Amino acid sequence: MAHAESAHAVLPVPAPFTGRQDVDPEVVRELLSHFTFDDYEEAQELILSALQEVNEHFGWVSPEAAQIVAEHLNTTVNRVFGLLTFYADFRTEPRGHHHMLICHGMACYVMGSQALVQEMQGGFGIDDGETTADEQVSIQVVNGCLGVCDLAPVVKLDDEYFGPVTAEELTSLLNRAIGGQRAMREKGVSNGPRPTK
Amino acid sequence: MVHARPSEHLTRLETQADYVAFRAQAQARWKDLWEGSRTVVSVGVGSSSIAKGALDVLDTCRAELGNAAVVREVSGNGAFWMEPWIEIRRPGEPPVVYGPLQAADVTAVFNGERDDLAVGVRNSEPLRNIPSLNEHPFFRDQLQIISRNAGVIEPDSIEDAIARGAYDGYFKVLFEMSAEEAIAEVTAANVRGRGGGGFPAGIKWESGRKARVTPKFVVCNSHEGEPNVYKDRHLHECDPHRILEGILIACVVCGAERGYNYIGGEYPLAIRRFRKAVADAERIGLIGKNILGTGHDIAFRIRTGGGAYICGEASAMMFSVMGVRGQPRTKPPRSVEEGLWKRPTIANNTETLANIPDIIVNGGEWYAGLGTEGSKGTKLMTVQGPLARHGVVEVEMGMTLRKLFDDIYGGMAEGRTFKGVQTGGVSAGPLKDEHLDIPVDFDSLGDVGGMLGSGGWVIFDESVNVVDFARYLTAFNRYESCSKCVPCRLGNPALVEILDRIRFGRGSMDDLTLIQRTSKHIIELSLCGLGQVAPVPLIGMIEHFPEDFEHAVKYGTMTAPPLPLAAD
Ligand SMILES: Cc1cc2nc3c(=O)[nH]c(=O)nc-3n(C[C@H](O)[C@H](O)[C@H](O)COP(=O)(O)O)c2cc1C
Ligand code: SF4
Ligand code: FES
Repeated sequence: MAHAESAHAVLPVPAPFTGRQDVDPEVVRELLSHFTFDDYEEAQELILSALQEVNEHFGWVSPEAAQIVAEHLNTTVNRVFGLLTFYADFRTEPRGHHHMLICHGMACYVMGSQALVQEMQGGFGIDDGETTADEQVSIQVVNGCLGVCDLAPVVKLDDEYFGPVTAEELTSLLNRAIGGQRAMREKGVSNGPRPTK
Repeated sequence: MVHARPSEHLTRLETQADYVAFRAQAQARWKDLWEGSRTVVSVGVGSSSIAKGALDVLDTCRAELGNAAVVREVSGNGAFWMEPWIEIRRPGEPPVVYGPLQAADVTAVFNGERDDLAVGVRNSEPLRNIPSLNEHPFFRDQLQIISRNAGVIEPDSIEDAIARGAYDGYFKVLFEMSAEEAIAEVTAANVRGRGGGGFPAGIKWESGRKARVTPKFVVCNSHEGEPNVYKDRHLHECDPHRILEGILIACVVCGAERGYNYIGGEYPLAIRRFRKAVADAERIGLIGKNILGTGHDIAFRIRTGGGAYICGEASAMMFSVMGVRGQPRTKPPRSVEEGLWKRPTIANNTETLANIPDIIVNGGEWYAGLGTEGSKGTKLMTVQGPLARHGVVEVEMGMTLRKLFDDIYGGMAEGRTFKGVQTGGVSAGPLKDEHLDIPVDFDSLGDVGGMLGSGGWVIFDESVNVVDFARYLTAFNRYESCSKCVPCRLGNPALVEILDRIRFGRGSMDDLTLIQRTSKHIIELSLCGLGQVAPVPLIGMIEHFPEDFEHAVKYGTMTAPPLPLAAD
């Protein structure tokens, strides 16, 4: 498995990784203070952006946060929930300590991502968008492309990309994440074989 | 994420003369960079290379070479196979590109000890025994017009962009050209929509300009939710100012007072670089009130998508901008009559708009000289699957798929055999080997059930079962259906159900007839483009690979049924 990591992610991260976050209403208000508007139309346009900001910051949008967004932008919480349930990027439950994306875009599909999805369901009993019972890892299957198709099939764990990943490697990756040991380096995982010129 | 900070040293330009002086300064700075006495090290940083460690390489270059050289963060150049790469220009020599390498290699490369990692000399003759990059098969047959700044400029630097010609077209429509003349150039260029539809931009702009209701808006559609394309994201990462210029030109020419860019939410780097571009352009006064003293006022807003494929459809996109669920509506009225906030709205794809600056500068006739009879210019292409090389390329319209796959992408990876190629994302059928000699443009592949679409091609080999693949494509449409209308909402799940029956070995030949009948209903009765083409990949698969479907009807393709999965 070629192990490709982004910068600053190479050091062993203390376990468990702190991806899981509770929503602090004060922080939500602070985030929203940047969303100013001149008229009704602009306020409407900002609802999605505001929710995205909250979702990005905490990994999910809590009912309380939805209420705060609704009040800030002069709309109803029902409307906000209509958006949260329509747009696939929003989560209405907290993420696990780790967050894993399994790319199921077309390039990854033809290179075998189906096997990874089946491993996730069969081996770990997790469905798309769910979190393992110990709250360690939440998994999202992405239909869009993660943009690294040359490593297909690709899995992204927190900030690190892995690929090409086999079902067995996914299992070991998940087990390690569940065990909270993200020190990939200790096993001497190198950058592995690269695509040729 | 809301606010990007503009570069501190920029100041507002009040007049045409201010701008001309600023441009001259930027050009002088650029010339000095490339002809001066300092070594220049550029690191290609894009979402594809970050995944392979490009940021580590950049950090190392800054830490270890920062005193000895100018270190720049440029974008990727489309060639994923050589990432992460760095480019070194030593005084008196042309720039040499090295890759793929890791942070640990940087110092040795810089000291000239690792010429084995050299890929080529950019834009110049061979140097020592290093060949010219333009002679590499990946670049040789490309025609880079809209992607010519990729890997060359720093996307976060408006001065780099301006030195390389950004905003020259904008300048022209502000000071030297009337709106009628500009539209005449776009019409003469016959540039067709790159978002999949192929509608001529000139005609759309003309109706936009004539619309009498005000205010008017221009929306750039950078949603790109198809599961196999990343050309628009790539363009945002490489050359955000080009896209912004295209939108601003459209605003001036059509008389729109506000421009929008609707970017897919999954692309953080693209969004970050575009925000920076807008912040800088605002700072120097290319956006805002009384632009360069011309009296034009143009505002700009960036909106990001939320991971719903259907929000790429123009009317759904506008609903999404207005903060409601992105569900398409029936047309007419068309968006140019009644779009965003019920005002005339000109919506174009990113790549379409990125073509505009060059058309304005060089003229429509120049552009119409490129490409084929019905499809002018170049096209960004992405080819994925088990290939020797990967990446984004720009080629002239009319290239055959065989040349694209075999020459540019280096053919199949070792040990893989070509079986077919899925075209048009999730909106068209597959092609087989015998179709690869057709010159590709907007109209040519229709007869054999393929489509250029947004230029994404996915090659598959024998390891992919086409019945399963057809199910994947149909399930994608099922999942992404917005549920507004019945044929699409219920028809696509029905198709998936029939396919699953076949895959589990419980199908019959009647099921293939049932697929045809159900598909006909979905295609004919659906409201929007998603439903109207949703069954097309499946029908194409059946047409081109009938034996696989017959085999599946007899024996199935799966041993055990999978657990239910929404996005599967
Ligand atoms: C389901 C669906 C998805 C679409 N997705 C996109 C997209 O991601 N990007 C895009 O530019 N156009 C997309 N389109 C096409 C747009 O509706 C519209 O035709 C296009 O943005 C117009 O720009 P153009 O004329 O420059 O191509 C999509 C259409 C449909 C029916
Ligand atoms: S065809 Fe499908 S996606 Fe389009 S409006 Fe109908 S349900 Fe929605
Ligand atoms: S399809 Fe998975 S990274 Fe592109």
